[in-house]
Amino acid sequence: MITNKKIRQFFFPSLTPKFLIRASLVVLLAYLFFGYLCIPFRIKGYSMEPTYRNGGFNFCWRVRYLFSAPKKHEVVAVRFAGNKVMLLKRIVALENEQVEFREGKLFVEGKEIDEPYVRFPCSWNLSPRQVEKNCAYVIGDNRNMPIEDHHFGQTSIKRIIGVPLW
Amino acid sequence: MVKVKYILLIMMAISIVIAGVWATGIFFQSEEKKVKKQFRNLSEWVSKEPGENTFTMVHKVKNIGTLFAERCGLKTPVEPLTGQYTPEEISGYATLCRSRFIKIDLIFYDLNVEFPEKELAKVILTARLTGTLTTGEYVDEARELQCVFMKIQKKWLFSDFEVVEVLRK
Repeated sequence: MITNKKIRQFFFPSLTPKFLIRASLVVLLAYLFFGYLCIPFRIKGYSMEPTYRNGGFNFCWRVRYLFSAPKKHEVVAVRFAGNKVMLLKRIVALENEQVEFREGKLFVEGKEIDEPYVRFPCSWNLSPRQVEKNCAYVIGDNRNMPIEDHHFGQTSIKRIIGVPLW
Repeated sequence: MVKVKYILLIMMAISIVIAGVWATGIFFQSEEKKVKKQFRNLSEWVSKEPGENTFTMVHKVKNIGTLFAERCGLKTPVEPLTGQYTPEEISGYATLCRSRFIKIDLIFYDLNVEFPEKELAKVILTARLTGTLTTGEYVDEARELQCVFMKIQKKWLFSDFEVVEVLRK
Protein backbone atom coordinates (compact mmCIF):
# COMPACT_ATOMS: atom_id res chain seq x y z
CA MET A 1 0.00 0.00 0.00
CA ILE A 2 2.83 2.33 0.97
CA THR A 3 4.76 1.35 -2.17
CA ASN A 4 1.71 2.14 -4.33
CA LYS A 5 1.43 5.54 -2.72
CA LYS A 6 5.13 6.19 -3.31
CA ILE A 7 4.86 5.19 -6.98
CA ARG A 8 1.78 7.41 -7.42
CA GLN A 9 3.58 10.25 -5.69
CA PHE A 10 6.59 9.79 -8.02
CA PHE A 11 4.58 9.88 -11.26
CA PHE A 12 1.86 12.30 -10.16
CA PRO A 13 3.48 14.55 -7.54
CA SER A 14 1.41 17.12 -5.67
CA LEU A 15 1.82 20.59 -7.10
CA THR A 16 3.38 22.15 -4.03
CA PRO A 17 5.41 25.39 -4.32
CA LYS A 18 8.55 23.37 -3.47
CA PHE A 19 7.89 20.96 -6.31
CA LEU A 20 7.29 23.83 -8.76
CA ILE A 21 10.58 25.47 -7.77
CA ARG A 22 12.43 22.16 -8.16
CA ALA A 23 10.86 21.49 -11.58
CA SER A 24 11.66 25.03 -12.77
CA LEU A 25 15.27 24.59 -11.65
CA VAL A 26 15.61 21.31 -13.58
CA VAL A 27 14.15 22.96 -16.71
CA LEU A 28 16.49 25.96 -16.38
CA LEU A 29 19.60 23.79 -15.88
CA ALA A 30 18.66 21.53 -18.82
CA TYR A 31 18.14 24.63 -20.99
CA LEU A 32 21.56 26.04 -20.06
CA PHE A 33 23.35 22.68 -20.41
CA PHE A 34 21.85 21.64 -23.75
CA GLY A 35 21.63 25.19 -25.08
CA TYR A 36 25.18 26.38 -24.36
CA LEU A 37 27.48 23.58 -23.16
CA CYS A 38 26.42 20.37 -24.87
CA ILE A 39 24.41 21.31 -27.95
CA PRO A 40 22.55 18.47 -29.68
CA PHE A 41 22.83 18.40 -33.48
CA ARG A 42 21.98 16.22 -36.47
CA ILE A 43 24.58 15.70 -39.22
CA LYS A 44 23.31 16.66 -42.67
CA GLY A 45 25.64 16.11 -45.58
CA TYR A 46 28.43 13.79 -46.64
CA SER A 47 31.57 15.91 -46.19
CA MET A 48 32.78 14.02 -43.08
CA GLU A 49 32.06 10.49 -44.30
CA PRO A 50 32.95 7.81 -43.37
CA THR A 51 33.91 9.23 -39.93
CA TYR A 52 30.50 10.88 -39.45
CA ARG A 53 27.59 9.69 -41.54
CA ASN A 54 24.74 11.74 -42.97
CA GLY A 55 21.75 11.66 -40.60
CA GLY A 56 23.83 10.85 -37.52
CA PHE A 57 23.11 12.43 -34.14
CA ASN A 58 25.68 13.94 -31.82
CA PHE A 59 26.37 16.68 -29.28
CA CYS A 60 28.72 19.63 -29.65
CA TRP A 61 30.84 19.70 -26.48
CA ARG A 62 31.72 23.37 -26.03
CA VAL A 63 33.64 22.98 -22.77
CA ARG A 64 36.58 21.45 -24.70
CA TYR A 65 37.89 24.81 -25.94
CA LEU A 66 37.06 26.92 -22.90
CA PHE A 67 40.53 26.36 -21.46
CA SER A 68 42.56 24.98 -24.37
CA ALA A 69 43.22 25.76 -28.02
CA PRO A 70 42.16 23.54 -30.95
CA LYS A 71 44.77 21.00 -32.06
CA LYS A 72 45.63 19.50 -35.42
CA HIS A 73 43.62 16.48 -36.67
CA GLU A 74 40.75 17.16 -34.26
CA VAL A 75 37.21 17.14 -35.63
CA VAL A 76 35.60 20.43 -34.71
CA ALA A 77 32.34 22.34 -35.06
CA VAL A 78 32.65 25.64 -36.90
CA ARG A 79 29.82 28.09 -36.28
CA PHE A 80 28.16 30.52 -38.66
CA ALA A 81 26.29 33.49 -37.13
CA GLY A 82 25.22 31.42 -34.12
CA ASN A 83 24.97 27.87 -32.81
CA LYS A 84 21.96 26.67 -34.78
CA VAL A 85 23.90 25.78 -37.94
CA MET A 86 27.46 24.47 -37.74
CA LEU A 87 30.00 22.86 -40.04
CA LEU A 88 31.72 19.65 -38.95
CA LYS A 89 35.32 19.62 -40.22
CA ARG A 90 38.80 18.38 -39.33
CA ILE A 91 41.68 20.72 -38.54
CA VAL A 92 44.64 19.95 -40.82
CA ALA A 93 46.86 22.99 -40.22
CA LEU A 94 47.26 25.81 -37.72
CA GLU A 95 48.40 29.44 -38.01
CA ASN A 96 51.47 30.26 -40.10
CA GLU A 97 51.56 26.76 -41.60
CA GLN A 98 51.51 26.18 -45.34
CA VAL A 99 48.83 23.90 -46.81
CA GLU A 100 48.87 22.29 -50.22
CA PHE A 101 47.27 19.40 -52.14
CA ARG A 102 49.18 17.38 -54.75
CA GLU A 103 47.27 14.64 -56.57
CA GLY A 104 44.96 14.20 -53.59
CA LYS A 105 47.76 14.11 -51.00
CA LEU A 106 47.78 16.71 -48.25
CA PHE A 107 51.07 18.52 -47.62
CA VAL A 108 51.58 20.74 -44.57
CA GLU A 109 54.85 22.71 -44.45
CA GLY A 110 55.98 20.69 -47.48
CA LYS A 111 55.59 17.34 -45.69
CA GLU A 112 53.08 14.74 -46.78
CA ILE A 113 50.53 14.04 -44.06
CA ASP A 114 49.32 10.55 -43.33
CA GLU A 115 45.54 10.71 -43.05
CA PRO A 116 44.05 7.33 -42.08
CA TYR A 117 40.61 8.93 -41.72
CA VAL A 118 40.46 9.70 -45.48
CA ARG A 119 39.11 6.48 -47.00
CA PHE A 120 37.74 7.58 -50.37
CA PRO A 121 39.93 8.36 -53.41
CA CYS A 122 40.90 12.00 -53.94
CA SER A 123 42.63 13.78 -56.81
CA TRP A 124 42.68 17.37 -55.57
CA ASN A 125 45.37 19.87 -56.48
CA LEU A 126 45.65 23.10 -54.55
CA SER A 127 48.52 25.57 -54.74
CA PRO A 128 50.38 26.28 -51.45
CA ARG A 129 48.78 28.83 -49.14
CA GLN A 130 49.64 30.18 -45.71
CA VAL A 131 47.21 29.92 -42.79
CA GLU A 132 46.69 33.40 -41.34
CA LYS A 133 47.22 34.37 -37.72
CA ASN A 134 44.53 33.14 -35.30
CA CYS A 135 43.12 30.88 -37.98
CA ALA A 136 42.96 27.12 -38.58
CA TYR A 137 42.64 25.26 -41.86
CA VAL A 138 39.72 22.83 -41.84
CA ILE A 139 38.67 20.17 -44.36
CA GLY A 140 36.14 17.33 -44.41
CA ASP A 141 37.24 13.68 -44.47
CA ASN A 142 35.29 12.92 -47.65
CA ARG A 143 37.28 14.35 -50.56
CA ASN A 144 35.74 12.11 -53.20
CA MET A 145 34.25 15.06 -55.09
CA PRO A 146 35.53 17.96 -57.21
CA ILE A 147 37.48 20.44 -55.08
CA GLU A 148 35.03 23.24 -56.03
CA ASP A 149 32.13 21.32 -54.48
CA HIS A 150 33.78 20.83 -51.09
CA HIS A 151 33.35 23.57 -48.50
CA PHE A 152 36.75 23.92 -46.80
CA GLY A 153 39.42 26.50 -46.01
CA GLN A 154 40.79 28.63 -43.24
CA THR A 155 38.59 30.01 -40.54
CA SER A 156 39.06 32.12 -37.45
CA ILE A 157 39.81 30.17 -34.26
CA LYS A 158 36.95 32.11 -32.65
CA ARG A 159 34.50 30.31 -34.92
CA ILE A 160 35.59 26.90 -33.64
CA ILE A 161 33.18 26.34 -30.81
CA GLY A 162 33.57 22.73 -29.79
CA VAL A 163 34.03 19.08 -30.66
CA PRO A 164 31.54 16.29 -31.29
CA LEU A 165 31.04 14.28 -28.11
CA TRP A 166 31.78 10.95 -29.87
CA MET B 1 -7.98 23.57 0.46
CA VAL B 2 -5.86 26.61 1.23
CA LYS B 3 -3.00 25.07 -0.76
CA VAL B 4 -5.20 24.53 -3.84
CA LYS B 5 -6.41 28.12 -3.66
CA TYR B 6 -2.81 29.31 -3.33
CA ILE B 7 -1.70 27.31 -6.40
CA LEU B 8 -4.71 28.48 -8.41
CA LEU B 9 -3.88 32.08 -7.55
CA ILE B 10 -0.25 31.63 -8.67
CA MET B 11 -1.38 29.98 -11.95
CA MET B 12 -3.87 32.79 -12.60
CA ALA B 13 -1.18 35.40 -12.00
CA ILE B 14 1.21 33.59 -14.38
CA SER B 15 -1.56 33.36 -17.03
CA ILE B 16 -2.28 37.09 -16.73
CA VAL B 17 1.44 37.93 -17.11
CA ILE B 18 1.76 35.64 -20.20
CA ALA B 19 -1.39 37.13 -21.76
CA GLY B 20 -0.06 40.64 -21.08
CA VAL B 21 3.30 39.92 -22.67
CA TRP B 22 1.60 38.30 -25.69
CA ALA B 23 -0.81 41.26 -26.15
CA THR B 24 2.07 43.75 -25.85
CA GLY B 25 3.97 41.80 -28.51
CA ILE B 26 0.99 41.83 -30.85
CA PHE B 27 -0.06 45.46 -30.50
CA PHE B 28 3.30 47.19 -29.89
CA GLN B 29 5.79 45.50 -32.20
CA SER B 30 9.35 46.60 -31.56
CA GLU B 31 11.57 47.71 -34.44
CA GLU B 32 13.58 44.52 -34.02
CA LYS B 33 10.47 42.41 -34.53
CA LYS B 34 9.56 44.42 -37.62
CA VAL B 35 13.00 43.73 -39.10
CA LYS B 36 12.74 40.03 -38.26
CA LYS B 37 9.30 39.93 -39.87
CA GLN B 38 10.90 40.94 -43.19
CA PHE B 39 13.05 37.80 -42.99
CA ARG B 40 9.96 35.69 -42.30
CA ASN B 41 8.32 37.26 -45.37
CA LEU B 42 11.39 36.65 -47.52
CA SER B 43 11.54 33.05 -46.32
CA GLU B 44 7.85 32.50 -47.09
CA TRP B 45 7.99 34.06 -50.54
CA VAL B 46 11.20 32.39 -51.67
CA SER B 47 10.06 28.95 -50.49
CA LYS B 48 8.32 26.74 -53.01
CA GLU B 49 6.27 23.56 -52.73
CA PRO B 50 6.13 20.94 -55.52
CA GLY B 51 3.32 21.67 -57.97
CA GLU B 52 3.07 25.37 -57.11
CA ASN B 53 0.48 27.02 -59.37
CA THR B 54 1.22 30.07 -61.56
CA PHE B 55 -0.98 32.41 -59.49
CA THR B 56 0.94 31.61 -56.27
CA MET B 57 4.26 31.90 -58.11
CA VAL B 58 3.43 35.37 -59.54
CA HIS B 59 2.10 36.56 -56.15
CA LYS B 60 5.23 35.40 -54.29
CA VAL B 61 7.73 36.77 -56.82
CA LYS B 62 5.95 40.14 -56.92
CA ASN B 63 6.04 40.30 -53.13
CA ILE B 64 9.78 39.53 -53.00
CA GLY B 65 10.46 42.80 -54.86
CA THR B 66 8.59 44.83 -52.22
CA LEU B 67 11.14 43.84 -49.55
CA PHE B 68 14.05 45.64 -51.24
CA ALA B 69 15.15 49.28 -51.47
CA GLU B 70 15.45 51.03 -54.86
CA ARG B 71 19.12 50.07 -55.09
CA CYS B 72 20.12 46.97 -53.14
CA GLY B 73 23.80 46.05 -52.97
CA LEU B 74 25.09 42.50 -53.00
CA LYS B 75 28.63 41.50 -52.11
CA THR B 76 29.67 37.87 -52.48
CA PRO B 77 32.96 35.97 -52.85
CA VAL B 78 31.66 35.07 -56.35
CA GLU B 79 32.73 38.23 -58.22
CA PRO B 80 30.21 38.24 -61.13
CA LEU B 81 27.27 38.37 -58.70
CA THR B 82 28.53 41.40 -56.77
CA GLY B 83 26.73 44.62 -57.68
CA GLN B 84 23.67 46.81 -57.29
CA TYR B 85 20.21 45.50 -58.08
CA THR B 86 16.74 47.07 -58.41
CA PRO B 87 13.67 45.33 -56.90
CA GLU B 88 12.55 44.41 -60.43
CA GLU B 89 15.89 42.77 -61.18
CA ILE B 90 15.72 40.87 -57.88
CA SER B 91 12.20 39.63 -58.70
CA GLY B 92 13.48 38.56 -62.13
CA TYR B 93 16.40 36.61 -60.64
CA ALA B 94 14.08 35.09 -58.04
CA THR B 95 11.76 33.84 -60.81
CA LEU B 96 14.71 32.35 -62.67
CA CYS B 97 16.14 30.66 -59.56
CA ARG B 98 12.78 29.34 -58.36
CA SER B 99 12.07 27.85 -61.81
CA ARG B 100 15.16 25.65 -61.44
CA PHE B 101 13.79 24.06 -58.28
CA ILE B 102 10.92 21.66 -57.67
CA LYS B 103 11.01 22.48 -53.97
CA ILE B 104 12.86 25.18 -52.00
CA ASP B 105 13.04 26.05 -48.33
CA LEU B 106 14.89 29.14 -47.16
CA ILE B 107 15.26 29.37 -43.40
CA PHE B 108 17.05 32.05 -41.37
CA TYR B 109 18.73 31.27 -38.06
CA ASP B 110 20.49 33.16 -35.27
CA LEU B 111 19.36 36.65 -36.27
CA ASN B 112 21.34 39.29 -34.42
CA VAL B 113 19.80 42.73 -34.99
CA GLU B 114 21.57 46.01 -34.18
CA PHE B 115 20.57 49.61 -34.80
CA PRO B 116 23.84 51.53 -35.36
CA GLU B 117 21.99 54.65 -36.59
CA LYS B 118 18.46 55.95 -36.67
CA GLU B 119 16.41 54.33 -39.46
CA LEU B 120 19.23 51.85 -40.13
CA ALA B 121 19.47 48.25 -38.99
CA LYS B 122 22.31 45.76 -39.33
CA VAL B 123 21.56 42.05 -39.08
CA ILE B 124 24.01 39.16 -38.91
CA LEU B 125 22.42 35.77 -39.50
CA THR B 126 22.74 32.29 -40.96
CA ALA B 127 20.71 31.49 -44.05
CA ARG B 128 20.09 27.89 -45.03
CA LEU B 129 18.68 26.93 -48.39
CA THR B 130 17.52 23.39 -48.98
CA GLY B 131 15.69 22.07 -51.99
CA THR B 132 15.47 19.75 -54.95
CA LEU B 133 16.47 20.90 -58.43
CA THR B 134 14.43 20.00 -61.50
CA THR B 135 17.32 17.66 -62.38
CA GLY B 136 16.63 15.75 -59.15
CA GLU B 137 19.79 16.94 -57.39
CA TYR B 138 19.41 17.79 -53.69
CA VAL B 139 20.79 21.16 -52.55
CA ASP B 140 21.69 22.05 -48.97
CA GLU B 141 23.71 25.26 -48.54
CA ALA B 142 24.29 27.42 -45.47
CA ARG B 143 25.88 30.87 -45.50
CA GLU B 144 26.46 33.63 -42.98
CA LEU B 145 24.97 36.90 -44.15
CA GLN B 146 25.34 40.48 -43.08
CA CYS B 147 22.32 42.55 -44.10
CA VAL B 148 21.64 46.27 -43.86
CA PHE B 149 18.08 47.58 -43.67
CA MET B 150 16.87 51.12 -44.24
CA LYS B 151 13.60 52.45 -42.95
CA ILE B 152 11.87 54.00 -45.95
CA GLN B 153 8.29 55.28 -45.58
CA LYS B 154 7.86 53.42 -42.27
CA LYS B 155 8.96 50.12 -43.85
CA TRP B 156 12.21 48.27 -43.21
CA LEU B 157 13.73 47.40 -46.60
CA PHE B 158 16.82 45.36 -47.48
CA SER B 159 19.46 47.74 -48.80
CA ASP B 160 22.66 45.65 -48.61
CA PHE B 161 23.60 41.97 -48.51
CA GLU B 162 27.04 40.61 -47.84
CA VAL B 163 27.93 36.94 -47.87
CA VAL B 164 30.48 36.42 -45.10
CA GLU B 165 33.24 33.99 -46.01
CA VAL B 166 33.41 31.59 -43.08
CA LEU B 167 35.91 29.30 -44.83
CA ARG B 168 38.47 30.82 -47.21
CA LYS B 169 40.21 28.42 -49.54
